[in-house]
Amino acid sequence: MSTDFDLQPTFAGLAAVNSAIEPGGSDIALVQAAQSGDRSAFGMLYARYSRMVHGILLSKVPHAAVEDLVQDVFLQALPRLNSLRDVSRFGGWLAAIARNRAIDFHRQSRPADEFDEQIHEGDKQPHPANRVDQSEAHQILEAIRSLPDSYRETLILRLVEGMTGPEIAARTGLTHGSVRVNLHRGMQQLRELLGYKTGASDSQASGTPS
Amino acid sequence: MNEPYLWDGSGEPDPEVQRFESLLKQFSHREIPLALPRQQNAPAKPGYFHGLLLQLPWIPRFAAVAVVLLALIAGGIVSFYPTRISPSGSGWEVARLDGTPQIGTRFITAGESTTKLRVGQTLETNSTSRASISETDLGEIKVEPNSRVRLLQTDEHHKRIQLDIGTIHAMIWAPAGEFVVDTPSAVAVDLGCAYTLQVAADGSGTIRTTLGWVGFHLNGRESFIPAGAMCPTRPKVGPGTPYFEDASESFRAALGDLDFAAQSSEGRAASLETILSQARARDGLTLWHLLSRTEGAERAKVYDRFAVLVPPPAGVTRDGILRLDQSMLTPWWNALNLGDIYLWRYWEQSSSPRANPPNRVLKEQLLLKKTP
Repeated sequence: MSTDFDLQPTFAGLAAVNSAIEPGGSDIALVQAAQSGDRSAFGMLYARYSRMVHGILLSKVPHAAVEDLVQDVFLQALPRLNSLRDVSRFGGWLAAIARNRAIDFHRQSRPADEFDEQIHEGDKQPHPANRVDQSEAHQILEAIRSLPDSYRETLILRLVEGMTGPEIAARTGLTHGSVRVNLHRGMQQLRELLGYKTGASDSQASGTPS
Repeated sequence: MNEPYLWDGSGEPDPEVQRFESLLKQFSHREIPLALPRQQNAPAKPGYFHGLLLQLPWIPRFAAVAVVLLALIAGGIVSFYPTRISPSGSGWEVARLDGTPQIGTRFITAGESTTKLRVGQTLETNSTSRASISETDLGEIKVEPNSRVRLLQTDEHHKRIQLDIGTIHAMIWAPAGEFVVDTPSAVAVDLGCAYTLQVAADGSGTIRTTLGWVGFHLNGRESFIPAGAMCPTRPKVGPGTPYFEDASESFRAALGDLDFAAQSSEGRAASLETILSQARARDGLTLWHLLSRTEGAERAKVYDRFAVLVPPPAGVTRDGILRLDQSMLTPWWNALNLGDIYLWRYWEQSSSPRANPPNRVLKEQLLLKKTP
């Protein structure tokens, strides 16, 4: 393992060992501590915000690339943290860095690299009993990704990352109203989209011998 | 749909939402430790110069302190003059990309890493210079050659520049509606996006959106430009009708004539005919805008063609659209899936001088109105 890196614990409790900030400390206190060089505080912020960053990235880039990009986002954020004047907007600021990182990813990728995860994940040969579920899961993920930005991010944070509406609002800096609307409309559109797709695949399947 | 379960997992579980959760869980974040670059062990303090001072004998140390103090005072006096005449605010960071851009009368030279553009100041580039403006809470704006940009406002929720002439590429991560660019022929409002804005010497302009969407308006005439689309503007007229850049040449030419040319009624009818006959479903963007830029029989023709390409959602009627009923225009726009128009309506409301409630409260009210 490289000696050029410090591994930050993922759990806030462990991260707090070397920090003056309590594990339950407010985000503002954590950001301020991280700004003054407290790396454990930054580790706690990672523990709190990595799911949000993951969800935002997953809404825009292939699944296989997301975990690496999550690390990139936090590595980009760390040296810029001191330029964040309004620490209460840390979540929105971090979300913007994540969105930009996703844009950079697409700029740097060859078209063939993009969204070919089903091919790669197909190589793993899932158990036959899981193939149908795998295929359906990919179909749902793709359907979510085809929705407008605000709906797809919110839906992925809710359905993939398991965050609640109030949690999404707290992390992203959106209002409860915005999150509620995004969830409601996003689910409506997702259902319509999947219904349409299911209908299309059913009609195709009906012409195929079993 | 079980709303409480979707919102916070409370109430009776919604079987469909539960199935989505169960299938999609495999894509969720794994708890991988964050690997940060190792910190240098050398203490940052007391610092190199402080260390040097401590190594000096007492009297020379006193003299050295006196020299440092004098230098600081002198530096303060020197730096007072430029700041006294420079405008207020902390300013945004400007980096030279090529050549020697200038802020006011001061050139940014190759040796300088970054400098500040303060409210009221102008950043200018000549034919060989380029610069970038960046602000942590805002994003990045690249200023191309032969451009002039003035910084107007840097408030927490209202950031504004003026592009007099030239080209900027903006990549904005501030919340939608917070960043505004004034041009001689329209006002561009960022609605979460990346875009290129050009202003010619005669004040006319063009906006091209590459990500998200932008609102463009002047004197009540408004255009929404999503990614892949562009929109021209003309002084005293305002924004033209937006269109996707892959629309046919004749479609674009006819649209330009309809927007800005002084046409006879026959000429206008011919232009409209060309637009409608060549419109694809994707050009619903253009037709939606044309509904409010046409009248009478022209509007009816636009409606009929638009309804074929993009069927109106439930509750949207021909009569309502011909009356330009906002409650019907809005869902039809949203059916295009190009961005939720509430962002724009919110911006309009909150930027109005009559908008008394704080932004957040107003936004909540608008959202609650919209919630089905």
